[in-house]
Amino acid sequence: MGGVPTRSIVRAGSIGGVAAIFIALVGLYTKFATLALVGEQITLGRLLIVAPGIVAGYAVTRPRIAAGERRVVSLRDGVIAGALTGLGTGIVFAAATWFADLFGVDRIREVFVSVNEELIAFLTFDKGIPGGLVILILLCIGGGVVGGFARTAPDDLRKPASVGVLAVLLFGLLQRIVPIALVELGYDADWLYRAGSGLTILGGTVVFLAAAAADIAWNRGGRQVRDRVRKTTEQAPAARLGLFMVLVAILVILPLLLGSVISETLGQVMIYVLLGLGLNIVVGYAGLLDLGYVAFFAFGAYTTGLLTGAFLNTTTGAAQPALSADLNFYVAVWIVALLAAGVGLLIGAPVLRLRGDYLAIVTLGLGEIVSVITASKWAQPLIGGPQGMRGVTKAEIFGLNPQDDPQHFYYLALAFVLLAAFVSWRLSTSRIGRAWTAMREDEQVADATGISTTKFKLLAFAMGGAIGSLGGALFAVSIGSLTPASFEIFVSITALAVVILGGIGSIPGVVVGALVLIGLPGLLREFEDYRLLIYGGALVAIMILRPQGLIPNVRRTRELEEEEVAQDAWAREEGGQAPAVAAVLPGGALGGEREDLE
Amino acid sequence: MATVTEPRAPGSQLGLLERIPWRRIILVVLSALILLVVVVGSYKTLTLPADERYTGTTWKNFITLGLAQGAIIALIALGYTLVYGILRMINFAHGEVFMFGAYTSFFFSDAWEQSGFLNSNPWLSMALLILIAMTASMIVALLLERIAYRPLRNAPRLVPLITAIGASLFLSNTARGFFGAQSRGYGVPDVLSGSWTILGVQVNRIQVVVLITVIVSVVALSLFVSRTRTGKSMRAVAADSEIASLMGIQVDRVIVITFAIGGLLAGVAAVLFSITFESVSFTMGFRPGIAAFTAAVLGGIGSIYGAALGGVLLGLLQSVGPALILTGYGIPSSFQLKDAFTFLVLVLVLIFRPGGLLGSGEAEKV
Repeated sequence: MGGVPTRSIVRAGSIGGVAAIFIALVGLYTKFATLALVGEQITLGRLLIVAPGIVAGYAVTRPRIAAGERRVVSLRDGVIAGALTGLGTGIVFAAATWFADLFGVDRIREVFVSVNEELIAFLTFDKGIPGGLVILILLCIGGGVVGGFARTAPDDLRKPASVGVLAVLLFGLLQRIVPIALVELGYDADWLYRAGSGLTILGGTVVFLAAAAADIAWNRGGRQVRDRVRKTTEQAPAARLGLFMVLVAILVILPLLLGSVISETLGQVMIYVLLGLGLNIVVGYAGLLDLGYVAFFAFGAYTTGLLTGAFLNTTTGAAQPALSADLNFYVAVWIVALLAAGVGLLIGAPVLRLRGDYLAIVTLGLGEIVSVITASKWAQPLIGGPQGMRGVTKAEIFGLNPQDDPQHFYYLALAFVLLAAFVSWRLSTSRIGRAWTAMREDEQVADATGISTTKFKLLAFAMGGAIGSLGGALFAVSIGSLTPASFEIFVSITALAVVILGGIGSIPGVVVGALVLIGLPGLLREFEDYRLLIYGGALVAIMILRPQGLIPNVRRTRELEEEEVAQDAWAREEGGQAPAVAAVLPGGALGGEREDLE
Repeated sequence: MATVTEPRAPGSQLGLLERIPWRRIILVVLSALILLVVVVGSYKTLTLPADERYTGTTWKNFITLGLAQGAIIALIALGYTLVYGILRMINFAHGEVFMFGAYTSFFFSDAWEQSGFLNSNPWLSMALLILIAMTASMIVALLLERIAYRPLRNAPRLVPLITAIGASLFLSNTARGFFGAQSRGYGVPDVLSGSWTILGVQVNRIQVVVLITVIVSVVALSLFVSRTRTGKSMRAVAADSEIASLMGIQVDRVIVITFAIGGLLAGVAAVLFSITFESVSFTMGFRPGIAAFTAAVLGGIGSIYGAALGGVLLGLLQSVGPALILTGYGIPSSFQLKDAFTFLVLVLVLIFRPGGLLGSGEAEKV
């Protein structure tokens, strides 16, 4: 089979088939069957039919290392291997579909609730059993070919093509933003998008060609441009400031373009950007894995409620909390942040000596204690217990009313985010930031060089807590009423996923992570039920494939390059087949314990 | 950072604030406070007016319930302890392994209940259900190890932990997609409802079954680990995996076996948990998972008897604790705070005695 062993093809093909069956059973096909991306025919559901084949084809044609030599698969071999892998995927998938039909959909549904006639009809393209299955297999083969092509084609062909496809996918998924923005700008969007649906065929082609052309142009002239930009920004701080101002200006006009529905989503994104920035200080800078971050979020939200005169929900109506004040939000929020910093110290002090996974579990426990208490009857007189509270201040300022108008809320949130981003950026490049880095990399050495680890750990907890509580305060303002259901462990895990997806320790990474994890699902309501499934899968995949995240921290990247990645990877791949990317991370990258390595 | 240019007398760089042992002061104050709260609370509860006081029977019920629940927690805790002992990693997704076992056995139990098999052959069907759940949990545990953990074998310690959290979320939401979001009622054979009188004490029949099954499982496990060759290699890998591999032990194989055993025990626990609470749902793995981890830490992670002891203690604490300590303060529905109790115990154990009750001096590494 040319450069690809038969065994690998069979294996990848069957894994692809199992993955497709998994997607079917978990209900993703039926959920996304009608979400059109391009034209009427290309829906997200159909794309998911092809996806296992693509991934399997891409994986099977990876360069192999044999006898210390890196063997790249040729295009011809790659496409053939991809097709065969896709065939394997298709056969497994089609066989399972056939079996499901023979066995009886209703009997299977007693266990797997997503299996129904609709699913079978969708997978056989309404063509009945033998005919539809042939189409299914052919599509999987097509997916395999695409995957093989995407790996083995020459770079100046495959890169523009992949960029084009990704752009089409992105524009298709952003079908509820881009048309609105275009209309707001005074352009006609009808040729690009079908009303209330995905791209038109023409639109898809245009987006594909434009993105591919942009990629080619970037590869031709991009390097010079990039170098020049870097040089100017490095030489003239004014230029850097200018760039920053342009970015801020874009963020400021964004909601005006996008209408209020999307501004609402953007507001939620901003709340998670704040949480991410706070958690980034604790996890990314100081290397302390905190799984109880929801504690600060809840603290911020409830304290804001109490300080600004919110009521308790009771069965008979409203009641006054046992302890409350009636301050202006913009006064209260600083008190909240200060108190949260204090709570950070209180939580931090007893757990100072714990490291690594034990710290993670203790913080998880503390977070859960907060969740359990907020939901308990015991907390009723103070924060409403299971019924929660309502009537959090509307936070009016300069004629803006964040609670009633999502666009105004966005501006409020943006102001907080800019403040938090500025603080974290200054912290990361300061003496404190360097002390955190040193502590993260090796606590004993940091201690020995005169860094008071106690002080800096507590500082990290306090800073992280203060910023996280701001997120909670914003949340309270945005929805006006607080119930315990909003303060569960999933907040902590989502914030962690935001930080990790974006790249641990990277501020732009947090923004991108929040946009991807909160923004995209927020815009496509269909995602709602599968949000946590995707978060979980993303956490696993990132840790295995790309532990540095989407936008890695610059200093981290430098550390990575210094580790002689290639050499280590060579030695490891020789031994086993498992991709050992994570293994070549510097030991400190996630907390500084590699006792078992030496 | 801050290199000191002039030599100074040792300690002189520390300010007054830093010289005070804050951490110790906080810990001492904290422990004194907790002790006070516990003693005062228990005293108040026990001296409540007679009509509000819990009766002796109630306490006895609390205790048997606690024992049975603790026994189940202990079984799950063994899975954490075994994996931690060998890989030094917290298998956060173990609760989901348990959940899948429970769900799989549910479908059989449901079908058998409708066909009447469950009540015509109660003991046989219970045994079969346990076997089914064991198989299902073992398969999930092995897949988890192969897909999520093995590629990260040599990664820094927090990487597998984050992966495990992700896997836990992924698995529980997979179950939600597969089996639906609502919880389902788990049938119990008629033979097991009601109670038996043992030594003059009325005991719930399910609780008796649970206790016996757990004792058998723990004894079997400890015999396996102490008597068989595989058990010996497990102990060797736990002691030092590098040296073990030099001695010709296949570390990968041992790791796989460890995950398999953890899965098998979780499967047993799954059926026992389901018949105790008579329902299954996709979120059922999370809280018991954390409770079991707490039990493992409480008993001293890495130690089999520690996990068993920790489980039973925690079960008792969960069922007796809120009633005993919190009722006295007039806190309404104190059982809602049962899980907060678990976490509080976890936090306190890790702060005061990270090695656990039967810990093996691992505290330094924590």
